[in-house]
Amino acid sequence: MDPIILVLILVSAIIGGILASLGVHLLPVGGAPAAMATATGVATGCVMLMTGSAVTGLFTASAVASFWEFEHANIALVALSGGVGAMLMIGWTMLIANLLYVFGAGIVPVSGRVAVDPITKESQTEYKTPRTDGHGMPNVSYISGMIGGFVGGFGGALIYVTLENFAHFSPATAGIVAIGIFIANAILAAYNIGGTIEGFHDPKFKERIAVGLFAAFVVSLLCGILVVVAVEIFPSLGLGGAL
Amino acid sequence: MVFAWTMVVIVLAFIACLFEDLESDEGSQSNPNSQVQLAPEMGYIHRYYNKAISGEGLSYALACTIAGTVAWAMLSKGITPVIAIPFGAGIGSLVHMIRATIPHLGRESAHKRFEQPIYLDVLFGHLVPIATHNFMAVVCITAIAYIQSPSGPLAAITGLPVAANNPFPLPLLCFIWGITVGAIGSSTGDIHYGTERLFQDRPFGEGRRVVYHGQICRYADCGIRTSKDVVAFCAKYGGPATGLTFGLIVLFENWRTLIGMMAGGLTGASLNPGVAAGVGIVIGLIIGAVLIVGNLYLVKWARKKFGPFVGE
Repeated sequence: MDPIILVLILVSAIIGGILASLGVHLLPVGGAPAAMATATGVATGCVMLMTGSAVTGLFTASAVASFWEFEHANIALVALSGGVGAMLMIGWTMLIANLLYVFGAGIVPVSGRVAVDPITKESQTEYKTPRTDGHGMPNVSYISGMIGGFVGGFGGALIYVTLENFAHFSPATAGIVAIGIFIANAILAAYNIGGTIEGFHDPKFKERIAVGLFAAFVVSLLCGILVVVAVEIFPSLGLGGAL
Repeated sequence: MVFAWTMVVIVLAFIACLFEDLESDEGSQSNPNSQVQLAPEMGYIHRYYNKAISGEGLSYALACTIAGTVAWAMLSKGITPVIAIPFGAGIGSLVHMIRATIPHLGRESAHKRFEQPIYLDVLFGHLVPIATHNFMAVVCITAIAYIQSPSGPLAAITGLPVAANNPFPLPLLCFIWGITVGAIGSSTGDIHYGTERLFQDRPFGEGRRVVYHGQICRYADCGIRTSKDVVAFCAKYGGPATGLTFGLIVLFENWRTLIGMMAGGLTGASLNPGVAAGVGIVIGLIIGAVLIVGNLYLVKWARKKFGPFVGE
């Protein structure tokens, strides 16, 4: 295959992987404590939430990519479709979670890491239950989560559309490879976060983002090399087999 | 016709996520199970079912993919979908039931040192409800995946410039929707179970403090509470809210794509892919902006209504 195409596949895997890691770092993830309203964020793990949103984006991106039947799909438009799909998934999930906190448990969404919401300038401390790490999704976490979903979904869809366009993978194979690279990066980011994070305003974000993105670069590079080797040595892989 | 099938998919999505959340409450899976797990160590001997197989997303991705693969194999042999989809979902639910049995016995026997018994009536009494709730969720997901797959009814619609179905095959769609439905059920529905139902004897309207952790509510309206009582409670708010989340996501994802396709010329001889994708993206961004405004309003309303924290 043309070396320029191989480099393009490698670069898209790296960019997609780094964006996936950045997206995970931006999500407000409260893990198990958030299910008891003991921590701010969505009440599940980073990997599960980000993967759930990214595959929703991938679903839309694959449908959009199929609009271009006889030519290469527009990479930017397909990746943006994936990003918006993932953003909407996260957005609805966080909004209904907040509805459950407010109407199901009578709890005001507040941040546990900052005294004032950096976006709306609303004070947080006096609304927080003592001896908890915040609860619900305050506005800054909500917006951070929407950005995280968009960035992560964009990265996943970018890998997908590049593999489908240039490596000539079948939609199924491209989807599985994109999900694989995505999950590897999401798990690495989850280890880097180590528990809960509220979003870009969390001091943890600034502390750990550089290491997280570097690790994402390394693992995405390795994944990208693997894909390039697979494309070059086993071109029949792209046909997608029985799928 | 495409819109009609989309409506069917949305209804199925609502039912699937509703039952997914109720199943996770029935067996106490996912995040709030940390409290059920912790309770015997705090001296709180309980009759909850203790089923932490894995995260809900992974567990449902596996059950749905098994169902989808079996259904796909049967469909490829020419068996009608009316039989293939429920049969595949049945196999997926059976595997889920096996996976639900082993963690409960393993975890409860590990709690022997805290004098937590294994109640056999709890084990046998919860397995069938777990399997049936799981079946409802998995059969709906498999049906959604079938409708959207290249072998489904959307692909059979002719006269359109592009195919209305998704290019992914049935098992991969089952995997995608399985992960998504699990992630949503874990993120939203668990709050009603973990924050409210497990700590119903604690003050209403505050986050559950770390000192309360493990001290779960063990008594029902009459007698001792089991996980079945949790389902009846969460079915009134947490479950439907979770179903609504997935239903709304599927609704707006499909809606904006279809509106984009119509703008790009779905009913004409050819589709302008750039316009179709662009309109879909713009509609999605508008919905995103509305969601942010909705959250701003909700938080503002809650702050005004509930006021600052009162108490110790």
